[in-house]
Amino acid sequence: MTQPTSQPTKNRFTFRTLILLLIPIILLVGVIALFLYTGGGLRLESPAPIENLDVERHVLERNKIHLYVRNTGPAELTIATVVINEAVMPFSVTPSATIPRLGRAEIHVNYAWNQGEAYGITIFTSNAIPFAVEIPVAFETPQPSSRTFWAFTLIGLYVGVIPVFLGIFWFPALRQLGRRTLTFLMAATAGLLIFLGLDTIAEALEVAAEVPSAFQGIGLIGIGAVGTFLLLDAISRRQTEITGSESERRLAIALMIAIGIGFHNLGEGLAIGAAYNVGEIALGTFLVVGFIIQNITEGLGIIAPVLRDRPTIGRLALMGLIGGGPAIVGAWIGGFSPSPILGVLFLAIGTGAIFEVVYEIAKLIKKDMARESMPMTVFSGVLTGMLLLWVTGLLIK
Amino acid sequence: MKPLSRRDFLKVGGLAFLGTAGATAINQNKHNHTTEDLNEVHLSHTMQQGDHGDLPGTVGEVDHEKNGFNPTDLLTDFDYGEVSALPNGQTLREYKIVSLNKNIEVIPGIEFSAWTYNGRIPGPTIRATEGDRIRIHFSNGSNHPHSIHFHGFHPGEMDGVPSTGPGGLVEPGSSFTYEFDAEPFGLHLYHCHVFPLARHIAKGLYGAFIVDPKEGRPPVDREMVMVMNGIDVDFDDANDFYAVNGIPFHYQNHPIQIRVGEQIRVYLVNILEFDLINSFHLHANFFNYYPTGTSLVPSEFTDTIIQGQAQRGILEFSYKYPGMYMFHAHVTEFAELGWNGMFEVLP
Repeated sequence: MTQPTSQPTKNRFTFRTLILLLIPIILLVGVIALFLYTGGGLRLESPAPIENLDVERHVLERNKIHLYVRNTGPAELTIATVVINEAVMPFSVTPSATIPRLGRAEIHVNYAWNQGEAYGITIFTSNAIPFAVEIPVAFETPQPSSRTFWAFTLIGLYVGVIPVFLGIFWFPALRQLGRRTLTFLMAATAGLLIFLGLDTIAEALEVAAEVPSAFQGIGLIGIGAVGTFLLLDAISRRQTEITGSESERRLAIALMIAIGIGFHNLGEGLAIGAAYNVGEIALGTFLVVGFIIQNITEGLGIIAPVLRDRPTIGRLALMGLIGGGPAIVGAWIGGFSPSPILGVLFLAIGTGAIFEVVYEIAKLIKKDMARESMPMTVFSGVLTGMLLLWVTGLLIK
Repeated sequence: MKPLSRRDFLKVGGLAFLGTAGATAINQNKHNHTTEDLNEVHLSHTMQQGDHGDLPGTVGEVDHEKNGFNPTDLLTDFDYGEVSALPNGQTLREYKIVSLNKNIEVIPGIEFSAWTYNGRIPGPTIRATEGDRIRIHFSNGSNHPHSIHFHGFHPGEMDGVPSTGPGGLVEPGSSFTYEFDAEPFGLHLYHCHVFPLARHIAKGLYGAFIVDPKEGRPPVDREMVMVMNGIDVDFDDANDFYAVNGIPFHYQNHPIQIRVGEQIRVYLVNILEFDLINSFHLHANFFNYYPTGTSLVPSEFTDTIIQGQAQRGILEFSYKYPGMYMFHAHVTEFAELGWNGMFEVLP
């Protein structure tokens, strides 16, 4: 209070400031109360009840169907009837048939379903509002056991870890190459990553459509992608401040590429695990071969920035594990407890990470370009990277 | 890198590679189950479904008291009207019907916002003898215009169809008296004929109309009326549930008790909206069928008949052996959505 008048507005948080801050909030409470009490002159009563029920997943056991549902409507609802393939079926609900807003419940039906057949389920609420679920291909849901655990591990190993390590095995050969070729490889990596990033965000948008509307899937993509991009950017700037060494910096970028690709592979694993879980999988030998070919480029991307350095084998192995290993974790999560919310979040993080890495590589290339101008090398490199994924993608699509 | 949308999995097909890896575990389980299955076959003879899932049906009971009617009572609830004689000696039968909006619990926990005659689905079973004079005092207690259109002989202004006079469209709060002679003898029906017709019928405005021949039908031990209907709870112009006498699965949950050798006569009416046909199948038995009930000679001895909307007929049968016997639509989809019942034949 006795401060000189020279700094009147700096950090002077007084009781008066508090009151001034609170006044709009108090007024807001008043306006809301008034609105709720009078309706504000608007007729906002719905002529029919608005209800929304999301079936988050289904689990099929022998002669049993379990549906995991969430009430994403504005008020509580009650499940009244379950119809499976045009037959009214007795059912039970735990914990309760009346589900509060955003609450979850499990519906259990004793139903003699058959392997490989399709089932249409309609759930009626007490207000006679139907919600349809489809089981396109009935398939006994894998239960966590050492066998299924190993199966999902194998899936992750084949589509994630093995291809990334195969790409890394190019390291000794590639480091024989000249500066111009190395820059080309860096640009190709950037191209690969741009393609991957676009693909990841497209997948995130697709999964976001499955997220219950209350959880705003698109918003989650924004938060995950922008947050990850800025966080990695901040980390990289701080590293530059701490270590000036160029090679340290390149190693850090390689690590970040590994992390970005790791998140991408996590999302990939989630998708595979979830698809496997609902029996929609028909992963042919051919498809796995396609994956190995395509994901080999991921390993190449990881080592590209450090080709002119001498990273230890341990470090390379670690980066391979970071890049490919999450596919296994993703397959576990997707297989045993698929959740579109988690899926969207991981894919969004992957998007942010991948684009941040592209930004870092661009900075490295810019440095190289300062020494020697080679605009066509960058152009052809980026395009090669993108085309590489597009062409190998033809194998899988 | 991620062409892994679910659709792609379906498209690709081919040799299941990873699928095999994971499915090994499941197949292992399956193998164990097969041996269990063999054991279960013996056990499940005593249970209805054994360990093979539940039978279609409802859990719990609708609130008949709140609904205002119980399908078990509707079976034998014939409304002969208030009887008097006209000056010329003709028998006069007077009936009161009021249309009401009413929520009816059709499945435990689901209320159907119905339109009803006298608060029930189906409406009262109007019963008279051929040649009787009939007066239906209809008043509209709902908030929509309605009418009553009877099948049978009557003058045009008694047809209950809009633009045929005041009886063609009775405004809310208004009333009209339909008057005509009951003929021809047979099993008929009545329903609202205000447009949109499909909606007015689907919401519940219908009932059976029995005209007995002057000399009567041969006596039987029990007579019952069954009106086959559909229920479109979400108003998407497709039936969600099917029933006889209003409530799905009622006679499955509450079998109709009869005795061995008893002569049974069923007045069967189909008023099912939206679906093209309905049917009736009697288990472990055959019946004489009198289409529209307009002849005293059966047209067929069968165990299954088909009816389109507004078709009806009389069934006569008796059971030789005691036991539980199903009767249901042999459009099996309808059966599993509610049109299923049981006769419990007592020795």
